[in-house]
Amino acid sequence: MRSMIQAIDLTKKFGDFAANDHINIDVKEKEIKCIVGENGAGKSTMMNMLYGLLQPTSGKILIRGKEVVLNSPIDAIQNGIGMVHQHFKLVPSLTVYENILLGEEINLKKGKFRTPFIDTKKELSCIEKLISDNRFELNPMDKIEDLSVGGRQRVEILKMLYRNVDILILDEPTAVLTPQEVDQLMATLKGLKEQGKTIIVITHKLREVMEIADSVTVIKQGKVVGNVKKKDTSEEELAQMMVGRDVVLSVDSKRKNKIEDEIIYEVKELSTRNDCGKEVVSNISFQVHKGEILGIAGVEGNGQSELVKMITGLMESTSGTNTFCGVNVTNWWPDKLREIGMGMIPEDRYAQGLCKDMSITENCISGYHGKEDVCRHGILQKSKIVEKRDTFIKEFDIRIGNIEGNISCLSGGNAQKVIIARELAAKPKLLIACQPTRGVDIGSIEFIHHQILKFRDEGNSVILVSSELSEIMSLSDRVVVMCKGQITGEISPKETTTASMGLLMAGIHKKED
Amino acid sequence: MNKKENVIKTMLNSVLPIVLAFFIGGLIILGIGENPLATYGLLIRKSLFTAKGFLNTLHYAAPLILTGLAIAITFKANIYNMGVEGQMMFGGFFAGIVGAYLPNMNSIVQKMICFIVAMGCGMLFAFIPALLKAKCNVNEMVVTLMLNYAMVKALEFLTTGVFRDKEAGYVATPTIKDGAMFQRFGTSRITMFFVIVVFVLIIMAIIMNKSKLGYEVKTIGKNAEFAEATGMNVGKKIVLIMLISGALSGMAGAGWMMSDQFKFTLSFSGNPGLGWDGMLIALLGGHSPIGILVAAIFYAALKTGSDSINLYTTVPKEIVSIIQGMIILFLAVKFIGEHTNWFERRKKKEEESWS
Amino acid sequence: MELIGNILYDTIYHSAPIILCVIGGIFAYKANVLNIALEGMMLNGAFVSVLVTYLTGSVTVAILAAIVTTLLFGLVFSCLGITCKGNVIVIGLGINLIVPAIADFVLKRMEIANISLQNVSVADFKLHIPLVENIPLIGKILSGHPIITYFAFIGILFFTVLMYKTKFGIYIRVVGENEDSAISLGIKTERYKYAAVLIGAFCCALAGINLSMERMAMFTNNMTAGRGFIAIAAIYCGQGNPVASALYAILFGVARALSINLSVYAGPVSGLFDIIPYIIMVTVLAVVSYTKYKNVKVRGFKLD
Repeated sequence: MRSMIQAIDLTKKFGDFAANDHINIDVKEKEIKCIVGENGAGKSTMMNMLYGLLQPTSGKILIRGKEVVLNSPIDAIQNGIGMVHQHFKLVPSLTVYENILLGEEINLKKGKFRTPFIDTKKELSCIEKLISDNRFELNPMDKIEDLSVGGRQRVEILKMLYRNVDILILDEPTAVLTPQEVDQLMATLKGLKEQGKTIIVITHKLREVMEIADSVTVIKQGKVVGNVKKKDTSEEELAQMMVGRDVVLSVDSKRKNKIEDEIIYEVKELSTRNDCGKEVVSNISFQVHKGEILGIAGVEGNGQSELVKMITGLMESTSGTNTFCGVNVTNWWPDKLREIGMGMIPEDRYAQGLCKDMSITENCISGYHGKEDVCRHGILQKSKIVEKRDTFIKEFDIRIGNIEGNISCLSGGNAQKVIIARELAAKPKLLIACQPTRGVDIGSIEFIHHQILKFRDEGNSVILVSSELSEIMSLSDRVVVMCKGQITGEISPKETTTASMGLLMAGIHKKED
Repeated sequence: MNKKENVIKTMLNSVLPIVLAFFIGGLIILGIGENPLATYGLLIRKSLFTAKGFLNTLHYAAPLILTGLAIAITFKANIYNMGVEGQMMFGGFFAGIVGAYLPNMNSIVQKMICFIVAMGCGMLFAFIPALLKAKCNVNEMVVTLMLNYAMVKALEFLTTGVFRDKEAGYVATPTIKDGAMFQRFGTSRITMFFVIVVFVLIIMAIIMNKSKLGYEVKTIGKNAEFAEATGMNVGKKIVLIMLISGALSGMAGAGWMMSDQFKFTLSFSGNPGLGWDGMLIALLGGHSPIGILVAAIFYAALKTGSDSINLYTTVPKEIVSIIQGMIILFLAVKFIGEHTNWFERRKKKEEESWS
Repeated sequence: MELIGNILYDTIYHSAPIILCVIGGIFAYKANVLNIALEGMMLNGAFVSVLVTYLTGSVTVAILAAIVTTLLFGLVFSCLGITCKGNVIVIGLGINLIVPAIADFVLKRMEIANISLQNVSVADFKLHIPLVENIPLIGKILSGHPIITYFAFIGILFFTVLMYKTKFGIYIRVVGENEDSAISLGIKTERYKYAAVLIGAFCCALAGINLSMERMAMFTNNMTAGRGFIAIAAIYCGQGNPVASALYAILFGVARALSINLSVYAGPVSGLFDIIPYIIMVTVLAVVSYTKYKNVKVRGFKLD
């Protein structure tokens, strides 16, 4: 089999930091290659170089044996390389066919004369043919903003297929899909392989690797640490290579005390609408007891974000009530909620949790900057704030290069620890943890899980929202599953399989006995 | 080390646009057949290097410091209050009316009333866009810009009609009473008003750098979503910030009225107007109170110096306005930040590619 | 009847420069480069056209000069704002301050307060449409406007087609909505932003020529009186849709026409009538924003 893509000693440096350090990789024709590694291992940097979005500091890229220089995505596409990004690059207000044809529009022809206008009819028929050829479920006239995540991904794939690429790179394609959608994607990829395409999948989900890969390359800290055929390896071995030590994939969540009957937090018939007036959370009710971790599971974009925003005071509900320790806190603002004893780890770390352009010190007090320990008569006490920061750093093992620097200098794991330290320091009774370990290295994940369990063992409650099923299943005492803004079921994680969970996430109710 | 570097960078970023603007201004002066160096010499010699001239410069700097602060506090929160000019005129006008029509009384009380009225007017006028922004998310910049024009027209109407001083030979409101006027110290123009302004500057410096509110203003400016998530109630804070800005603008107008103009004329604010000058000053001073003080003095020196150009050369004094416009234009670009920015952007890309 | 005719004629008359600014500014708005220098660019068009006519006597040269200099300002704007990534609002304000300063400087240097053209007659620019002209009332309203006024109204149609039916329009919108998407397909985003700003500059130049030379054959400084900002308000109200935004511009024309025609009857209060158009625009902007915002349940602002 001939090589489609080879990278030889590919290196990419950002300043002094080598994101990719002499990477060697060889992708054969008509194979599915999986590239695995932890967050921050340098997978995406490498792919961005193969797609012309980044230029290597040194090293060579060979396509079909010939050395190429890729200065832009255009060069990559001309060489037959297409990429489906993790964050889709689609234009929401345009339709499916317009997005697919973006940059390749077909002009209306009058005889031999090419008019400046666009030939909508021809474009449409062309895309309809493409969709049916690939047996995708899509309506070319739909607007992207109305599509599900899976649908958008299919548009991204079609965008590349229309450009006749024979090498397809997918960056974390399954991160936002339901288990069923994942299966569908796997089938699509296998189909494409049979058509003769070469496929590179970047992922950190080892189960999927074992399902589709022909060969696997493991990257750790910018270096290739392993090149194996799928049939010669196992999930455990790959995990061990990724992290560099034995990994306990499960958490010891054994509890010391019992869940008490006292209800700490209650949501009753909560609903809200999005900007377009569509109901995105409808009639949700649940209770959280003292000393309990309640998990909220579901595929992203099924109303969890909005639910959390309502609980944390960032969004107004249209109906329903929230009660915290017997106090009606419906539609309270975040400052009041913090005062009454709720801690919040927001979903988007750099949008709501931290301010990238401010120092670590300043980020350590936000949300609690009016509290008496750091602020007297409206004036901030600098020495007290520094003291507080230093305690956080020590207690939460936050690793910092320049202590006066901006928070953006910290790695994802350390930045997340700042948030958790800040929120737990205020001694809340309820912690709302939304995607607490997203984009965080494995060491920090263990640490954060441990902190959450410790917090629970102190007799407090937690609402845990996460799209990582394993996280939800191993930490929670009870899980509610959301789909399309509604609760589709409530389960006990110890007695439920991933498969039945998947059905609930897809909105298929279990028949009631 | 890092901090020092930053200070130098910030200063260079303010100085480079000035140099560039003066260079181009110099070319224009050359173009009309005058000597740019001699002209620039005239511009600053008297206003900065003679004792009396310098005191006069401080006098002209006083309202500019206030309008500069008014703009800086909103810019820092990433709100564009372009209505400082209108708020200042509104405040100045009614300070003048109250000063002229109120019966004579204790002069301190009289001045206080004028100030309070002016600050009230400024706040009222800033409240409209603030409320629209907080309640309906209306773009505050567009609203304030348009309300400025409405205000100019309204004041024109009031000055030429209802409040016109019939005895004056030109369009003006009556002169304010002696009790409402700030008396000059000695032969220079400087008055008590400058002292008050310095006091306000110190208070604002404390608010902006040390206080909870200052922290919130900074946070809102850097990342409004984060500010909301950490309980800063951005809508209310925007109203508060705009009110402070309006009060400062109103105060600038009152001070200008009571220490220099003494009556409202159609050219009360000058050209391009104290509010617009304030914007230059806020940008030049990098939104920091000390920077604003320096920038205001520098700019006031140019303004007072421009009269000498008119006397001794054939260069129209409007050259100063052209230079001002160019300084603003160049200030928009961070010349030195370019490299650091570029570096940060790469870092960002790196993070994105990691996530 | 006469009064209504006058009001309608004035509506068209006063809408034209704002419509031009609106349709020019829309491209920058859609490409996510807020161009608030419309005001300054328009003033530049007004100033240069009259100045050059005054100096050379040639209207053609004057129009060319006005367009070229305004495009230069557009180039300065794009260069600093797009290539050097400066703050476009500050740059816009800078241009808005420089243009009247230059005008002042030149007028002072020439030792005149304003330029009035003796050798140009406003009537020469008026276009009388045959046939239409003879229809009672309507003829009076639609005919006899300066040429650029007609351009403005034709422009609405032209730019709508350009925006929605051509590659260029799609790319402009894509650049504004999701720049990453454009970059990932190799579209040169900066080029489209430059083009958007330059289209704006060109339209503003026409608006300025219309305002000073065609309508009055004279120039006084600050004669644009915030029309550029009103155009921006109209763009915001119409959310970047050419037709809707142009309608808001016409609304301003109506307000202006009413205030001019009715102020005759108002006696001493007439001075206040000048305020009405600005107040109306603020109110409209508030109402439009409110209807858009009232359904938003997410708290907080995206300040940009």
